[in-house]
Amino acid sequence: MLITGLLAGVEAGLNRALRLDGTALPRLQALAGKVIAVQCQSPALELFILPSGDGLQLASQWHAQADCTLTAPAASLARLALSREKTAVLHRPEVSLDGDSAVLLQLAGILQDLELDWEYEISRWLGPVATTLLAGHLRSRVNLASHGAASLKQNLADYLAEESRALVGQREADARFAELDQLKLALDRLEARIERLTSANKSDA
Amino acid sequence: MSDPRKAHEQEPTTHFGFQDVPESQKAEKVAEVFHSVAAKYDLMNDVLSGGLHRLWKRFTIELSGVRTGNRVLDIAGGTGDLTRKFASIVGPTGQVVLADINDSMLKIGRDRLLDKGVAGNVQFVQADAEKLPFPDNHFDVVTIAFGLRNVTHKEDALRSMLRVLKPGGRLLVLEFSKPGNPLLAKVYDTYSFSFMPLAGKLITNDSESYRYLAESIRMHPDQETLKAMMVDAGFERVTYHNMTGGIVALHRGIKP
Repeated sequence: MLITGLLAGVEAGLNRALRLDGTALPRLQALAGKVIAVQCQSPALELFILPSGDGLQLASQWHAQADCTLTAPAASLARLALSREKTAVLHRPEVSLDGDSAVLLQLAGILQDLELDWEYEISRWLGPVATTLLAGHLRSRVNLASHGAASLKQNLADYLAEESRALVGQREADARFAELDQLKLALDRLEARIERLTSANKSDA
Repeated sequence: MSDPRKAHEQEPTTHFGFQDVPESQKAEKVAEVFHSVAAKYDLMNDVLSGGLHRLWKRFTIELSGVRTGNRVLDIAGGTGDLTRKFASIVGPTGQVVLADINDSMLKIGRDRLLDKGVAGNVQFVQADAEKLPFPDNHFDVVTIAFGLRNVTHKEDALRSMLRVLKPGGRLLVLEFSKPGNPLLAKVYDTYSFSFMPLAGKLITNDSESYRYLAESIRMHPDQETLKAMMVDAGFERVTYHNMTGGIVALHRGIKP
C-alpha cells in the first residue's frame, strides 16, 4: 500500500509536468494500451508504466503481459531518468530489453523531447504581464549563471593545469598515455624476441 | 385462501445494518440511503477514509490486469472512479459498463464522467447485481467496489457475475472486511460508530445513513467467509489481499 501511495504521488506530479508540454499527451496517446515493465535488479523492484492520452499510469503490479520489459540495475535506471541522452543509456550492455522495444524507445523519446511551458503555468496564477516580466528576469539570471559557471569551470581548469601545475592537462596526459602505449608495445616485442632467442638457444644445445 | 399478513410474516428476513428487515424491503431501504448521500458521496469518501479509498481502488485496477479492447463491468460503480480509469485503459476498442441499482448514484456518475470527457466506450446501465441484464460469457473483468454488502442475496449476485464473465475472466470484489489486529479493530469500532455518524451529520445532515454504513460493514462476511462464498458460486483460484490492516479486502476469483 505504501508503494501504491508513493506511486500515486509520483504519477500525479509527473502527469502535471506532462500537461505543461503541448505535444507530450497527444504523442503518449499513440502508445495507449501498451504496458511497459521496468525491472530494477538491485534493489529488486518492479514498476509498470501504462501510457495514455491522460498521461502515464504507474503501477507496482500489473496482472497482464507487458509489451516491453526493461531490466537494468538501479544506477542505469537513474541515469535513464535523469539523462537527456536516454537512447544512449538504453544501448548500454547492462541494460536489457525484451519484447517490443519500439514502445520504450518511443516513450523515452517523448520524455527526452519534453519542453515544459512553465510560463503558462505561472501565467495562470500571476497573469500575462507579470509572467512576462518575471520570465524575462529569470531567463537573464539563468543565462548569467550558466555563463558564469562555464567561465569558472574553464578558468579553474586552466589554473590547475597550466599555472599551478597541480593537475596534468588533458592533451599532456594524452601524449604521455600515447608514449606509455608505445613503450608497452616495444616491451612486448622485446619480450617476444627474448623468448624466441631463448628457445633457439635451447634447441642448439 | 392464504392470509396476506401471514405470508408477510413468513417472508425471510435479512439484515439492514443491525436490524432484521423482510428481504423485499432491503433494496428499497438501501436505495433510500444512497439517494440521501449521492450528492456528497465523493466528499464523504475522502473525509471518512482520509483519501485511502483512492489507493484501495488503485490497487484494484492494478490487480484487474485489464488490457486494451477488454470488456469491463463495474457493478455498483457509483460515481465512476473505477470506470474512468478502466475506460482509459481499454481504449476505444474496449467497453466499460457502469452499472448501479441506484439511479441517483448513476446520474451523478454519468454527469461526472461526461464532464471529464469520458465518453464513447462507456455505457451506463441501471441494474440489479443479482439479475445482471447481460449475455453469458460477455465480460473480461467484473468489479464490485463497496457494493456487495448492500446486496440482499449475495450468493445470487456472485452467481450472476460468474455467468456474465468469460471463461478466464476475473471478478474483483473490493469491500470492507474484518481487521486482523484486535487493537486496530477496537480503534476502528470507535471510529465507525462515533466519528462516521457525526461526520455524516455535519456534512450531509444525515447521520442515520452513516450509522447504516458502519453497521452494514460489521454484518458483511469476513475475508474467509466471502472467499468460501466465491468458491461456492463457482470461482476458481480465489485469493484475497488485506489492505489497511484488513479494514478493506480485495477478493479475486477466476471463472473456470
